[in-house]
Amino acid sequence: MALDLQPPSERKRVKVYELKENDWFDRGTGFCTGKIEHDEPRIYVESEDKPVRTLLETKISKDGGYQKQQDTLIVWTEPNQTDMALSFQEAEGCAVIWNFVNNVQQHLLNVAAGDDALSDDLEHLQTVQLPPAELVNLPDIDHLMRAASITQAGRDALSKCVIRDEYIHKLLPLVTIAEDLESLTDLHRLCNIMKSLILLNDTTIIETVVTDPVILGVVGALEYDPEFPTHKANHRQYLADKSRYKEVVPIRDPNIRRKIRYTWRLQYLKDVVLARILDDPTFSVLNSMIFYNQVDIVNHIQSDGPFLKELFSVFDPRSNDAKRKEDAVQFLHQCASIAKNLQVPERATLFGNLISHGLFAVIVFAIKHPNPAIRTTGIDILVALLDHDPIMMRSYMLKAVNEKKTPLTDTLIDLLHTEADLGVKNQLADAIKVLLDPQVPLQAAMARAGPEQAAKMRSNMLSDAFVQNHFDESSKRLFAPLKRLENESGPYDLTFKDVALYSHLVDILTFFVRQHLYRCRNVIQNERLAAYVTLLLRVPQKHLKLTALKFFRTLLSLQDTFYQALMTHNDTFGLILDIVYETMPRDNLLNSACLELFEFIKREHIKPITLHVVGKYGDKLRNITYVDTFQGLILHYEQLQGYSEEADTTLYSQEETPVLKTTHNGRWQGVKEMDPAEEEYFNTSDDEDEWPQDRATGTLVSQVPNGAVSPSVKSLVDYPDDDEEDNDAMDTKPEPEIEQKDESKQGEPNEGAPTDDAEDPPSTPIQAVQTPPERLSEKRRREEEDDDELVKLTSGPKRRSSTSSSTGTAGLLRKKRSGSIGSVSVTDKGTAQATTNAAPKRIAINLSSSTKAADTLDTTADENEKENQNDGGNGEG
Amino acid sequence: MSDLDRAIAQLRACRLIPEAQVRELCYKARELLIEEGNVVCVDAPVTICGDIHGQFHDLMELFRVGGDVPDTNYLFMGDFVDRGFYSLESFLLLLCLKVRYPDRITLIRGNHESRQITTVYGFYDECIRKYGSANVWRYCCEVFDYLALGALVLGASAELEPSGPFYNDTTQSTMSTTDDGELETEVLNSKGDVTMSTYRPRQRSSLDNGAPSPTRDPATLRTGAPGTGASSSGAGSYSSSRTGAVLCVHGGLSPLIDTVDKIRLIDRKQEVPHEGAMCDLLWSDPDEIDGWGLSPRGAGFLFGADIVKQFNYKNDLSLIARAHQLVMEGYKEMFDGGIVTVWSAPNYCYRCGNVAAILELGEDASNGGMVTRSNGDIGRSNGILTGTADKAPLRSPGRRYRVFEAAAQDTRGMPAKKPVADYFL
Repeated sequence: MALDLQPPSERKRVKVYELKENDWFDRGTGFCTGKIEHDEPRIYVESEDKPVRTLLETKISKDGGYQKQQDTLIVWTEPNQTDMALSFQEAEGCAVIWNFVNNVQQHLLNVAAGDDALSDDLEHLQTVQLPPAELVNLPDIDHLMRAASITQAGRDALSKCVIRDEYIHKLLPLVTIAEDLESLTDLHRLCNIMKSLILLNDTTIIETVVTDPVILGVVGALEYDPEFPTHKANHRQYLADKSRYKEVVPIRDPNIRRKIRYTWRLQYLKDVVLARILDDPTFSVLNSMIFYNQVDIVNHIQSDGPFLKELFSVFDPRSNDAKRKEDAVQFLHQCASIAKNLQVPERATLFGNLISHGLFAVIVFAIKHPNPAIRTTGIDILVALLDHDPIMMRSYMLKAVNEKKTPLTDTLIDLLHTEADLGVKNQLADAIKVLLDPQVPLQAAMARAGPEQAAKMRSNMLSDAFVQNHFDESSKRLFAPLKRLENESGPYDLTFKDVALYSHLVDILTFFVRQHLYRCRNVIQNERLAAYVTLLLRVPQKHLKLTALKFFRTLLSLQDTFYQALMTHNDTFGLILDIVYETMPRDNLLNSACLELFEFIKREHIKPITLHVVGKYGDKLRNITYVDTFQGLILHYEQLQGYSEEADTTLYSQEETPVLKTTHNGRWQGVKEMDPAEEEYFNTSDDEDEWPQDRATGTLVSQVPNGAVSPSVKSLVDYPDDDEEDNDAMDTKPEPEIEQKDESKQGEPNEGAPTDDAEDPPSTPIQAVQTPPERLSEKRRREEEDDDELVKLTSGPKRRSSTSSSTGTAGLLRKKRSGSIGSVSVTDKGTAQATTNAAPKRIAINLSSSTKAADTLDTTADENEKENQNDGGNGEG
Repeated sequence: MSDLDRAIAQLRACRLIPEAQVRELCYKARELLIEEGNVVCVDAPVTICGDIHGQFHDLMELFRVGGDVPDTNYLFMGDFVDRGFYSLESFLLLLCLKVRYPDRITLIRGNHESRQITTVYGFYDECIRKYGSANVWRYCCEVFDYLALGALVLGASAELEPSGPFYNDTTQSTMSTTDDGELETEVLNSKGDVTMSTYRPRQRSSLDNGAPSPTRDPATLRTGAPGTGASSSGAGSYSSSRTGAVLCVHGGLSPLIDTVDKIRLIDRKQEVPHEGAMCDLLWSDPDEIDGWGLSPRGAGFLFGADIVKQFNYKNDLSLIARAHQLVMEGYKEMFDGGIVTVWSAPNYCYRCGNVAAILELGEDASNGGMVTRSNGDIGRSNGILTGTADKAPLRSPGRRYRVFEAAAQDTRGMPAKKPVADYFL
């Protein structure tokens, strides 16, 4: 006897009611007893008139919502959602039955709480006792499962029961029977039951589900979704199709073969069968099961030497089995995509193993394949490698160059030039970007690889000069097609292919310039690349124009004298103004992009450019009146001309704003902390004769009109203290210590904005920019938030409004701080540039004569202003 | 039948077009979109739609309820992709329609039209799954970069024509037009039955829910109106009966943007940045706060009624229409009708249980079809604020919301992702 409860044996007179359409329907009068049958507590009511007839027979469940009302009434909800009531003749009778119900419930709850110490004793209580798997019981089973799924304890108990009884196996024959009977109701119930079982989120159950004898039955039931009563999915057909599994080289271990199959089924369950109904916990259980399987599979494969050997021998040039080669590429592609999810060490071993067996040859085979789909796949593998470890890939490439072999980059570049498939071309361009990206130095790679690897790498280590040389050579090769622009009478009849190629090339060049402005100087200078890109501003293809425009916009944002000189030499601005003229006053993307560029010059007060543009194209500018951008530029120009020495304070303080702002336009993210390679570059370049660009820059600077106020000055003005102390150091090269120092000063409010902005007519845009939305947040956070969005919004707006009101101010303060950090690092950059490019002595003089006191004043004023704007909450006041 | 029409037919049947055709389509779309300003000007009548999120069958339902392209002019406010299982079919169909009927359909960018977001919320995976490589995703992302950031609806009528043949509640209609003033908003269910109407009342004191501010008062109040208890500004003369323009953006306003013209100074061809004006337009939300607040989304801002009021006043707008937030009723007007959220993905994510809505703005025929270009590309402001002191008050456009539910199950099939074709591991 499981329940040591004494069911009330006395019969209590009672009326049975059922709630039908909001009315209590009298089902008759009878005598009520409690009983325990088959370990199930039940309530019986026998009819008063005909004692044989049972008016009510109900099982007391944990969650029937039993209530005692007014001493004589017990109300509850049946599993089929019917509301029932027992109205007792006497309060005493009601109390007896109520007592019984209460005790039973107490008991069930204790069991459900799953106290392990007690569970052995209580297990045979079988709180979740499933009726035999028969069609007639399906409604009960369905209900029981739903009910049990509500609490965690119930789920655990149900899982145990299902596993112990191998209940899934017992259910499977019902699917076939129900299908034979064409009983849609039963099939729908089975579907619900299977859903409940999977959503129990129990690894053992899910593992059972995907095994050979079970899977088809389970997805068979899931084909009959009651939410889509007129539809039937065809999961079985898909999963039964054995031809979907391709085996290039047989995997001998049956265990692994099984794992592969199960993983595939899990993925199908996750993506197709359950996609709509998966809750987050089950989703992650499925994902982690897939993950662990994949780890096992990949580990097996890479440790199976003979297997790998056989796999790579497929690519033997003597073999003619083209289909098999393609399949092998696909196989490796799948390995690579699985590897993306692995942890770094495991991934590294896998890739290392594959590479040592000849993965590069496979990549080259694939990217030269006549079928674009295979080419795409090949580059995908390459990109996976690049994502994994760009440094490793670059060192392989440099090694090849050193050994006078054709490096992968050359192959890729040649392909990029000739590739007809635009998708593949796109991928090639991306791969080249990463592979040639000179940003990451080898030293850092060594440090990361650990001492043992580092020793190995050191032997392969190539001098920086060599790296630079390779970059120059490759870039020369890469950008060579741009030279064709010169030969053609005008860049006016480009083929579709040319246009695609040029836009990729300019895009890559823009990327290089942004990532690393020093490395590409050589090639830009020697190959006159800027001049060619300038030509592209005249092509009829607007998106190509736009790409060229983006390149110059990037040059501008670098605020580097070398690049500024390039732009002023090539009549670049004349051509950009031509575009403005062509498009104005129509409002389109090109027009906006041009306006944004000039707006940037105006906003940042880039003196040499302002002087050049207004000086040379003043008339053109004056004729553009539909926006105030150009008037603003002219005004600024006149100020520059009008005041000289006395106006310095004003000018300097005006220029502090850009330092603050450059971080806000989102384009500065490419500039990172100075890396060792860059430093090394600084350290070496001065003494080496082969790098002429510094001297070239020197002369260029002097060519800039009014060179005394070259933009490099302004970056330094913000840091009077540093400058005084570190003048000597900065004369030669920036030391890491300086950087640290600057960082330590980030708290200082040095993002001062001009107080005289208000008097300045064209300053409206500046004011608007003074409350820029600096962001603490990173992508990840946004993702999380966005994920929350759904939950949040469905659960009503309360949470949102309360957070916003309370965190509003604090958030803005935080943001402000982050902004100042950003500006400091950017300024560092400017400082570094300044020291190499311009004459530092002059800077020192300027400093001593100018702005220390004004600086602080300005800053406080600005702080107040910002505060006001934030609190007042609107930019326009 | 042209290739394009064939592609449209195929996509309408929820079948994908070949990769080469997608590339071609994206190329054409790019040529078209590059000519559009950051803020596209659209003439009424137009039907404004919110988020779609890859719910293809519900998009079909939307067209059924709102009328088909090109018979109805549409303006979609972004978030075509992610979440739902048919982002590709939905976006490609919209893009096809855009290329086929450029003047009939306007697409602007939502925060999900971004490389970063789509890699996380499903569109990227869907492309890989359905086309086997990321190429189509790349093409689409390229198009995303060209999408306009907002739209300005001009020439919307202040008065709604009572919705003719479908109009059931005839007694109320005749009663109210005479007694309560002109029809201002109307809500229809997917069968075309009117479920709710509001009128511009004669007396300001009798305003109930959705009370118009003085700037939105009907022309009949021109005389004698000033000073009758209006608490807000602008109680000047009622010399104009024109409606202001309607600004449509995906998210909302930005502290960096105080005039619509400022939006035109953005170089929009880029990935949606993490901050700045462009980011805010796509990410911000209105909220019951004063001024600006930090957004819990981590991008964009929250902005209050005062911001909306000032922005609308300064830019001659009578309404801002935006999407971006799930609203269970499909639409939600806030801040005295100064801003409305339109949400067009019913039963969002196949489980939220919400209804969807589209917003119809009628054409103002009273002015001989002439459109007042407020902030259009003609007569653009010169950047210096002029004459803000005595601006004529604007009336809000008449707004007809059509509310609809998720497509009937027999028309949609079971939403599911496409399984991978073959596997090796």
